[in-house]
Amino acid sequence: MISLRRRAVAGGMLWAAITIFLGLAGLSSYTLTATKQRFTDQVANQHTQVVVALGNYYENIDALRRTIADPVYQRPFSGQYWQIENDQGLLLTSPSLVETLLPQPSAPSEGIESREFMGQNGERLFGVAQWLTLDGESSWHVQVAANVQTLDAEIADLRRTLLLAFAIICSVGIIGALVQVTVVLQPLNDLRADVKRRWDEEAGMQPSAYPIEVAPLVTDINTLLKRNQEIIGRSRRQAADLAHAIKTPSAIMRNELGALQTRGVAVTDAMNALDTLDAQLKRSFARMRADGSQNAMPVITDGTETLSRMARAFTALARNAGRTLSSDIAPGLRVRIDKSDLEEITGNLLDNAMKWSTSHVHLNAARSGNKIIIKIEDDGPGIADVDKTLATQSGQRLDTVKPGTGLGLAIVDDLVHAYDGALTLGQSAEHGGLCAEITLEAARSKASR
Amino acid sequence: MRILLAEDEPVLADQIRSVMKSEGRVVDVAPNGVEAQFLAETEPYDVIILDIGLPERDGITVLKNIRAEGVSTPVLILTARNDWSDRVDGLDAGADDYLSKPFHMPELSARVRAMIRRKVGQTNTVFQKDDVSFDTRNNQVTVNGIPTNLTAQEVAVLSYLFHNSGRLVSRTELSEHIYQFDGDRDSNTIAVFVNRLRKKLGNDLIETVRGRGYVIKAAA
Repeated sequence: MISLRRRAVAGGMLWAAITIFLGLAGLSSYTLTATKQRFTDQVANQHTQVVVALGNYYENIDALRRTIADPVYQRPFSGQYWQIENDQGLLLTSPSLVETLLPQPSAPSEGIESREFMGQNGERLFGVAQWLTLDGESSWHVQVAANVQTLDAEIADLRRTLLLAFAIICSVGIIGALVQVTVVLQPLNDLRADVKRRWDEEAGMQPSAYPIEVAPLVTDINTLLKRNQEIIGRSRRQAADLAHAIKTPSAIMRNELGALQTRGVAVTDAMNALDTLDAQLKRSFARMRADGSQNAMPVITDGTETLSRMARAFTALARNAGRTLSSDIAPGLRVRIDKSDLEEITGNLLDNAMKWSTSHVHLNAARSGNKIIIKIEDDGPGIADVDKTLATQSGQRLDTVKPGTGLGLAIVDDLVHAYDGALTLGQSAEHGGLCAEITLEAARSKASR
Repeated sequence: MRILLAEDEPVLADQIRSVMKSEGRVVDVAPNGVEAQFLAETEPYDVIILDIGLPERDGITVLKNIRAEGVSTPVLILTARNDWSDRVDGLDAGADDYLSKPFHMPELSARVRAMIRRKVGQTNTVFQKDDVSFDTRNNQVTVNGIPTNLTAQEVAVLSYLFHNSGRLVSRTELSEHIYQFDGDRDSNTIAVFVNRLRKKLGNDLIETVRGRGYVIKAAA
């Protein structure tokens, strides 16, 4: 898709080119016609002057010559000529013709003739000629001619001036178009920056801050973002309701089977099937959550508050289990993840650590560059290197001594990857057991805005 | 030991009540949040099992309200929700433990036992007083290592006195913790149960403080 800027610039330039071309053609045509008309009018006026002079002094040739002694007719081949002849064989020419002559007159006729012709010295001339009858007896032929090259030079000069003027206008127009496009498209650039800022800071976009043409788009984007969050929220609620609807009957069935088992009825297969069903449901719900998170608009969570809440809750659980939990959570952590997903990740990891620890679990969270690193360490047996990949696979229980479905780490892995994060399983240098390290993208802290 | 079970699913409530009863506890069932809060605030329970998804008033609200009213009874929350938010909400609101549905009934029993022990500061699962021992895991009572058969009411009385050993327990308090809400609470029958226990376990175990109640002194 061609960008709006290119479209606007190309459109503006095309439109400017058409306008300038039509303007240039129109103006050029008009000025050319006007210049030619002025030239022919000028030659006609000169012819009239010669005719008037002839009418006054045809009997006094010297007086006639003096009357039409304009300097332009005196200079040899000046481009301005006149020639008078009569039916008695008299021939008078302007000194500018030197020894050349204008064309021989055509047969006597009424009216004024005007035409272009080549002069004897090779000049292209435009001439006006007329037969006159003076005193009702003698016929006189009066010709006046002017060099057309001066007209051509004038026209060429005019064209150059016009082209230069239009080139300047064209340049100004293009610069203006670029400036206009930049100014017009600026709200769209602002919108793009605002969307990014919204992702960074969860700040809303105010339609009133945009031009009236862009404001509906802003409203649509706001609606889209809100709808996206509503869809994710609704699907999570539906999943939770479905889980609720299934798990209670499942608990009832499990208890019935347990009661039958104590009475000696063989229910092992049914119990195993129920275990598989529960594990599959848990896995499916976790997958739905991870898929939903992957498609959700980015949100930012106060990591310090959420992790502190988790630490508080698990401190109570640790006490129940005869263990201790310590935490070291840096202030001002802002994580690019949904709050409930962060709780799900840390909840599963803390639950896992609590299950396998001997006496102590430690939660650490800090910012490193543009990442948030969350570490959950315990003093349990840890996981052998060869089993670490297996541990994050669905339903893989590395040790069946402890109760569980073997889904915890797989759920964490799915969720972390949904946010382009990473889960690393290693050995805790300080506590000796497993160190589960989560890396998530940090959002800009409020203080750095 | 008396338990409040707030659970809206009647079949599951019956199953839990049946198991608890078989373990010598009495159970009051509240099918909704309003009734659960009323009972928790007015009756002296030893443990509250609270489903989060209750009708009329959700479990978290009930928990917050009873804690605000000063009820310090240990609370175990039951949740059918998948995510940790509900569990953490519950723990943050003052729950002592949680259990996710579907759960194994023995695990529920173990959690309840542990909560009762923690409430009285007892870490061992077996109480020992002279030659009498009481195993809270199976309600097994032995005298000099020989098992003794006790009725459910006798186990209930003995369990409460052992869990509160070293403290004088009045007949009224005892009857409040061994009878359910709608049960016929005749404190005279308490004397009958104590007499039977003395016959089976010896006269030195339970001491009578005339006009005030009973006490098992300093059990281990």
